[in-house]
Amino acid sequence: MLSSVGTVVYGVLVDFISNTMNEDVPKETPSPSPVPQWEQPPPAPEVTYNWVEVTDEFEKACNELDLGELVHAQHFGLFEAMSAIEMMDPKMDVGMIGKHATRKVLTFKQSVEEKNIKLNNLVPEELIVIMDTCQACILSWIEGQSLAQTVFTCLYLHDPYIIEDRCLKAFCIGVLKVCDMIKDKIYKANVFEEEDFQTLTYGFRFATNVTELRVVGMLKEAEDDLSRTIRTTKSNEQNDLTNAHKMSCLQGVFARIKFLRLFLQAIVPFGKKEMDVVQGSKKLLIQMSEQLEIINKTIKLGVPPITTEDGHEVSIGFEPLVNQRLLPPTFPRYTKLKSRYDLLPSYSDIIKKLLAIIEMSNFTSFQSTLDFIVTSSQCNPCVFTRSVLQIVFMADNRKVFGSHLLSDVLKESMRSFNAPPSFSPRYHVLQNNSKAKDVLDAFLARATRTINKLVQAYGHNYARQREKLAAILEDLAILQDDADRCDTDLQTIIQSLDPNTVRSHLTCFGSWTLHHILRVMTQYVLSGFQLELYSEHEYHYVYWYLAEVLLSWQMTTLNRAEGQLQRDETLNEQMQSSKSRSHKKAKKNKKKSRLHAKELLLVQGMQMMSAGTFKVMLGFFLDGKLKTPDCEFDNEATRYEHRFQPFLAVSTPPFMPYKQFREMTDVTQYYPPPSSRDLYMSSSKHFEQAKALYEKMAPSDETQQLLLVAKTNIVVGKLLAGGHTRKSTTKPGFDFSAHPVFPIIRVT
Amino acid sequence: MANDPEEENVKPDPRQTLSKWLSRSMRIKMSDGRTLVGQFLCTDQARNVILGSAQEYLNYSENSQDEPRMLGLAMVPGKYIVSMQVDMD
Repeated sequence: MLSSVGTVVYGVLVDFISNTMNEDVPKETPSPSPVPQWEQPPPAPEVTYNWVEVTDEFEKACNELDLGELVHAQHFGLFEAMSAIEMMDPKMDVGMIGKHATRKVLTFKQSVEEKNIKLNNLVPEELIVIMDTCQACILSWIEGQSLAQTVFTCLYLHDPYIIEDRCLKAFCIGVLKVCDMIKDKIYKANVFEEEDFQTLTYGFRFATNVTELRVVGMLKEAEDDLSRTIRTTKSNEQNDLTNAHKMSCLQGVFARIKFLRLFLQAIVPFGKKEMDVVQGSKKLLIQMSEQLEIINKTIKLGVPPITTEDGHEVSIGFEPLVNQRLLPPTFPRYTKLKSRYDLLPSYSDIIKKLLAIIEMSNFTSFQSTLDFIVTSSQCNPCVFTRSVLQIVFMADNRKVFGSHLLSDVLKESMRSFNAPPSFSPRYHVLQNNSKAKDVLDAFLARATRTINKLVQAYGHNYARQREKLAAILEDLAILQDDADRCDTDLQTIIQSLDPNTVRSHLTCFGSWTLHHILRVMTQYVLSGFQLELYSEHEYHYVYWYLAEVLLSWQMTTLNRAEGQLQRDETLNEQMQSSKSRSHKKAKKNKKKSRLHAKELLLVQGMQMMSAGTFKVMLGFFLDGKLKTPDCEFDNEATRYEHRFQPFLAVSTPPFMPYKQFREMTDVTQYYPPPSSRDLYMSSSKHFEQAKALYEKMAPSDETQQLLLVAKTNIVVGKLLAGGHTRKSTTKPGFDFSAHPVFPIIRVT
Repeated sequence: MANDPEEENVKPDPRQTLSKWLSRSMRIKMSDGRTLVGQFLCTDQARNVILGSAQEYLNYSENSQDEPRMLGLAMVPGKYIVSMQVDMD
């Protein structure tokens, strides 16, 4: 309780600092202040104190108080007392000296003066451990730890310019530059929250006075130096073990310098509008993976860190406590850094994700790009890769992939979704009408704003995303009203200009918007599974809502869009054939290709899976194997409404109230009422349908997982229908290990 | 907290003693050697003391102090208090 209050105090403190300091701080970084307030000397005390010793008197007086009685200043009560930080509590008191008082904490300058730290002649084993720990620090930092407790625990980074060892100096400046770049990209994308990324920079300098080019040059020089040393070592005549060891050490250092240089070069272009440069990063990233393998093999060559008496691992050149006095009172004293042995998996993951993002910039349709953004947000990307994704999608010049206006991209997306007459290349009536143009522009402007927000929402971490999606639904609801109005207005214009046409603008933009609304709603519900928000006794209405409301609406929407596309094609064909008859045959084949076929399959498959799971649940409820908790303060209707509350904002699809859910799922309305066996049987059938649908699709990891769930549940459904474990009183289990949304039903 | 008139003549009421120090500056030396200076706001039977706008000094002596660190509202558990002084100006 107290520690959470402590965080509040810290938050307030940071707010306070950012409010008071912002005026005279250069605006380039959103960091509240280069010099934290607690680092500045306080105003010189004007009053001299007249201290009077009260220790004993105070103690005696306290002893006479009653248990639980407080003597307190006016307006100061228990409530205010709650937010005090507790001294000597290791969780709250960062300045606590007690345990580690025996170790003297020296700053970089003091270490240099006392000759505690080497500035020159570092052996490769020392370089390896310093470099690896630096990288581990960077990784910990982009996982949300504070700079002061990660990267800047490396003393060398406090002033790399006084380092005499060329190799280490170049590396340190390189690390600072990389951090600076990462920080910039993260700020630019603006999809971080306090749990992802600490914005305080504590006034540390990030090698901003040297250009990236210069830093790359320095690193390259260091590489050249090293490769010369490696050559001379190689030609060394004594070909014994020590020489071999020396060689692998030197190669280890070389790989680390090269890795850092490649990393710096690879991340610089992200966010720039020149996409070919971004594409160039691909080669660099692949080279990084090669170096990473060498790095991984040589980690163990580094000088092992010393464990201090307070149980902290300290590598050469690092002092975990050096910035302790910079931290706000409530910070945890130690930060668990990533292990050096995690470099390979963590960086491999980052490289893989960055490569995928570069791949994304080749996508041509908005739909596939959005799909990519949604799926990539689900595999727990770090704040850095999430940010890169955002700034590659929306580059510096506010254009998608640096080349197209988002409004043009959306226009194209609408055209391919259901071919609205206003965007039809063969229908010119609307294109030359100024009123139609105004209506269209206004709609596109709003659509652009909303979709931009949507893409950004998907950039946030998964838990935050859910609340952002709920907020986006309100924007989408407004867009939907706009879309419907726009459709009607354009239809009126069409009819007045071209009364004989069969083209209709009704439900064009409306459908496109509805499609996106339904996708967001579905995503909102699904994310609840991934975040493990739902209890078992809630599953039935969640799956029901998916199957009966969201996905069934989505099916209708997609089928309608498909129909609109075909009608448009037929109309274009007629226009064409009235001009020339030769193309007729070619066109006929094309007609059969259904654009939304894949998504229709996916949606229908998901609908069947949801319906199947729902029916099993319902059967369990009938059999009394699952029960809604019957607590005084628990109410299924309240839970239900709370779960789907954001959907109230949207008018289509209309919100399905709890009462209606009860009525529609009440088995007694049928005659004869279905038994639990009937429900299990029907569930098994749904899973069979799902299986058939997924088998039609191109195999992928996801469909394989879904097939596994469907196949298992077909059998389980049949067993249950056959009376298997009918008498068993064990609660059925839901195993989400195969798929995060659809469980394998386990009965024993 | 109310003053009990019957006890008044026996010995000074502890509540009154403590109350007269409230809101004054207080200096507390803690068992780990640090010194806190802040406004005395609250205490209880276990001599837990809450100081407002507390400043933390690593080495404090009457004549010279190192740079303090701002802590804000801080509670010192009674068992860690070594000595305490009140500013009576």
